Amino acid sequence: MKISLNWLRDYVALDASNDEISRAITFLGFEVEGVANTGAPKLDNVVVGEILTRAKHPNADKLSVCTVDVGPAGGVKTIVCGAHNCGAGNRVLVALPGAVLPGNFQIKLSKIRGQESQGMMCSPDEIGMGSDHSGLLILADKPALGAAMNDVLPPGDTVFDIEITPNRPDCQSHLGIARELAAWFKLPLIYPQEKFRGDVAGPAARPDLLASVRVEAPEDCPLYSATIISGIQVGPSPAWLQRRLTAVGLRPINNVVDVGNYVMLETGQPMHAFDAKKLGGNAIVVRRAAEGEKITTLDGKERALTSRMLVIADAQKPVVVAGIMGGVNSGVSDDTTDLVLECAIFRKQSVRATSRQLALSSDSSYRYERGVDPHGAIEAAWRAVDLILETAGGKVVGPSFKVGGDVPWQREIVVTHDYITEKLGFDIPAAEMRAAFESLELTVTREEPTTHPARGPAWTVSIPSWRDDLDRPIDLVEEVLRLHGTEKIPAAVVSSPGLLADDDPISIFNRRVTDHLVGHDFHECVNYTLRPAKEVAAWIEPTSATPLALANPFTEDQSHLRPTLITGLLESLRLNQSRGVAVSRLFETGRMFIEREGQVFECAGVAFVVAESVAERSWLKREPVDFSFAKHHITALASVAGIDFARQPVGPATAPGWQAGHSAAVNDHAYNWAARFGLLNLGFVKSLGIEGKIYGGCFAILPEKLSAESARHRFSEFGLFPAALRDLALVVDAATPAADVQKSLLKLARAAVGNAFAVESVTVFDLYRGTGLPDGKKSLAFNLVFRAAERTLTDDEVNGVFQKVQDEVVMASGWQIRK
Amino acid sequence: MQDQLSALLAKAAAELPGVNARPAFEAAKARYVGPNGELTALMKQMGGIPKEQKPAAGKLINEAKTQLTALLDAALARIADSELAAQLGPAVDPTLPSPDVGPGTRHPLTLVREEMCRILRKVGFTVADGPEVETEYYCFDALNTPSDHPARDEKDTFYFPAAARFGNVSKKNPEEKYLLRTHTSSVQIRTMLKGAPPIRIVSPGRVYRRDTTDATHSANFHQLECLYVDKGVTVRDLKALLDYIFASLLGKDTKTRFRPHYFGYTEPSFEVDLTATHLPKVKKPWIEIGGCGMVDPTVFQDVGYDSEVWSGYAFGMGLERLAMLLYGIDDIRYFYQNDLRFLKQFA
Repeated sequence: MKISLNWLRDYVALDASNDEISRAITFLGFEVEGVANTGAPKLDNVVVGEILTRAKHPNADKLSVCTVDVGPAGGVKTIVCGAHNCGAGNRVLVALPGAVLPGNFQIKLSKIRGQESQGMMCSPDEIGMGSDHSGLLILADKPALGAAMNDVLPPGDTVFDIEITPNRPDCQSHLGIARELAAWFKLPLIYPQEKFRGDVAGPAARPDLLASVRVEAPEDCPLYSATIISGIQVGPSPAWLQRRLTAVGLRPINNVVDVGNYVMLETGQPMHAFDAKKLGGNAIVVRRAAEGEKITTLDGKERALTSRMLVIADAQKPVVVAGIMGGVNSGVSDDTTDLVLECAIFRKQSVRATSRQLALSSDSSYRYERGVDPHGAIEAAWRAVDLILETAGGKVVGPSFKVGGDVPWQREIVVTHDYITEKLGFDIPAAEMRAAFESLELTVTREEPTTHPARGPAWTVSIPSWRDDLDRPIDLVEEVLRLHGTEKIPAAVVSSPGLLADDDPISIFNRRVTDHLVGHDFHECVNYTLRPAKEVAAWIEPTSATPLALANPFTEDQSHLRPTLITGLLESLRLNQSRGVAVSRLFETGRMFIEREGQVFECAGVAFVVAESVAERSWLKREPVDFSFAKHHITALASVAGIDFARQPVGPATAPGWQAGHSAAVNDHAYNWAARFGLLNLGFVKSLGIEGKIYGGCFAILPEKLSAESARHRFSEFGLFPAALRDLALVVDAATPAADVQKSLLKLARAAVGNAFAVESVTVFDLYRGTGLPDGKKSLAFNLVFRAAERTLTDDEVNGVFQKVQDEVVMASGWQIRK
Repeated sequence: MQDQLSALLAKAAAELPGVNARPAFEAAKARYVGPNGELTALMKQMGGIPKEQKPAAGKLINEAKTQLTALLDAALARIADSELAAQLGPAVDPTLPSPDVGPGTRHPLTLVREEMCRILRKVGFTVADGPEVETEYYCFDALNTPSDHPARDEKDTFYFPAAARFGNVSKKNPEEKYLLRTHTSSVQIRTMLKGAPPIRIVSPGRVYRRDTTDATHSANFHQLECLYVDKGVTVRDLKALLDYIFASLLGKDTKTRFRPHYFGYTEPSFEVDLTATHLPKVKKPWIEIGGCGMVDPTVFQDVGYDSEVWSGYAFGMGLERLAMLLYGIDDIRYFYQNDLRFLKQFA
């Protein structure tokens, strides 16, 4: 809200500097978003003069020497001037010796390049009126020679642009801010004195103008007052009124409308004036709109109303959307002679709902939505009547209509000095606290000294009707602290008793996987959680995409929760490639969202991508990365979550984003986690505009399945006697997974060994395809390790077992032994 | 005998330095000191030497043996050295760049988050986490935000359709809607509901606003909030925490100040400004950095804490904003583009 300093001074005798006032407003709790000076500041020895002659300066190309007549202020002066527009005949402002211009610029008799100058002709910025320094300020209306500047120019003002927090609707007005500043500077607050006080002397009521006021929805309109003023003359407002409105950014319209705005900006109470002759049936009805009823509001738009919206209507039609905006059909125009002045209280929730539904707001609705002083309406109406009579003439006819009573208001808060001290953690004297209340018109109706000598008093504080935000003792703590000054909170040491807690497992998980990946040369990325529908549908099955959609996306490319972290990383790859930045390894940690059977699960996730080979040329070639690289890292990431991949079945990654036959999935959320890894779908990657093969891995787990404590491992014995090793190569179908063969072999070996000794491990160490093998077959070579805990195994016993394994594997599986 | 020994040593001294490979060495060694070697043969002659000459002859033989062993050892050491040398290629040029990419980097938001968490961990805060998909209750109702508050408007907050079902985000009321949390304060509510005071947590996390993306706004960004609930927590304690945080982060000459403000979930509430030297691209003396206040009794009441017994404070700030301030970054979009030239600057 824009607040004019001149206007504030009507209510409080502020003599502090603009900086001090700004600081006061700031530390009272309102952010000052801007301070603007308008009009002319008060300056002495700056007078009107007329340029008589202009000649080129003998010693400087860009300067002129002018003679200037300042009339009674000193006659004709010789002045050196650098402006381009110092042509003869212009009337300008002349700063005479002795003048002190803004920026402490002192004007003296001086010599400029050898030429005496007896003053200075001024540009607007030199006299503190804006920033225009392109030339002299030319006074087009030719004011009298020698007249003082401040008699000629509009008086100066300072306008503070203040952000009013939503809890302080009372400060949506000059009086409200003045009250705060009066409290801060310990100055009295002077309220405007209304002449009209609802008392009517004059002609009797005029039922031909307004015969009745009826409120059909008192729950949304607890108070409605209407005052008839007859015989007015609509015209431009007086200059002082126009100046005030202009200063705070409002366009003057006419005296009646301007007074309404003025009183709203003064008191915070919105009001509305009707042309009485346009009220059909001479009636005002405050009612809910009929469903679909239409009104064309003052902004020229036709609006369809619903039955929940409150309107002010005449006998036939709605004339105002209550508290928000008037209709074109009933407003005051140049030929209005009789008006009805409305001043009412509307329930804030009702105004807010209607304003939002119609997407229509105004200075009036803004204030009603936040709440107006329930006891301020009638006085505000009186104030407006005064100003209308003053600026537009006319007479109040008949008593005002007033429907509904004063909204009941009584609130007292009991608070003790001790309570406030306990909340603040430092001492403020009781007298200062009490003075703070009183200065904000929070009247202390009772002060009880507590019986305990060391304790402070208890106060009963009466809360005024405009301070609905003050409801509990804690709210008064803030008032005391505001006026004491939040800058004066004393320093202290942080107290930090240990609370025996540990970090959340998600944060530990993220930190550890980040350590792993950064340690392997990956760069951490951060991508948006919201992804385009098209991309999500391409990544997963379209049916799985639907539950991830937002109800109200802001843009089309951010409409769905991400089902994977991979696509964001691909976008980062693409961005770097397109900018010519060589990039290969990227990763991200963060939330991703998995759909299962119509339900969405929020998972903690980590993912990485890696380009098969780095685009950058190098003097030394490295092996390109491959599927195993992805598997290695996804295995490590899963192990951070306490998951051992060796125990997990591996299947194909079925989502379309992964390249079939070159990617894999482990677990697929069957146990609240899933891992996918391998080559990303070549076509998908290419469609994104990315060059080359990209491998990746993505691990997701339900946060609640991440545990801070992992089960403690138990030591297992290992034999100190030498192991016996045997190699076995098997020819199997190309499609048979190595893990299946390994498992069978391990099982058979264990059966063959029995309890005699142990099969320590069976691991695949070679894979062969090609010459010497039938089509569709591959050879897998395994290393079998046998060991006994308490002795060295003999060749004979190992050979016996190994032969048995060979016989049985051929029998059981049909796999051939490759000699 | 002496002549024979001298001749033998002379021969060995001439031959052994020329032996360059292990097999040749072994052969030579056998020829001298093997069972059929020349020295062995001479030693065998000792039997035939008259008894009185034996000590002198034995001494000669021993001397010869010592010398021969030294020659053999030297030859072997030389061969071993040359074998090791053969494992090496030509000398490296240590100035050539490594062909391997790296090192990896942490994102500046991670760096700032971890630094803040480290500072806060020192004074007893532990990291708390919570879902990014939230419900109206945890994001608004429990934080004293009335149902018609503008922040809850569909204009400003991302909602999910009424039929949306989230398997692991619990609702307080069956009819409330799911949304993307607009602040991490929902973590405070979940933490308070799950546990009992005293509580001292820091909750960093991602939040969402329905906003146009520009140099200072982003559809999602990150916040970091602190919550402390205990007996007798005061405004002064809150100020002490903020002073501590920013002095730790920016140096001892850093100052903070509170300006009264309004938040629905704290009373009194403040905005926090800081002033510090050496911050890049900062022109104003005071920079707004976050909001804070004493936990409103209504919030305690809602989570079932007795506000007569428990008091507390909360503080929150934007991590992007902090990172921008610390690193002198002037456009929030850099954080989400992941240009490597950006990412590599901060690690």
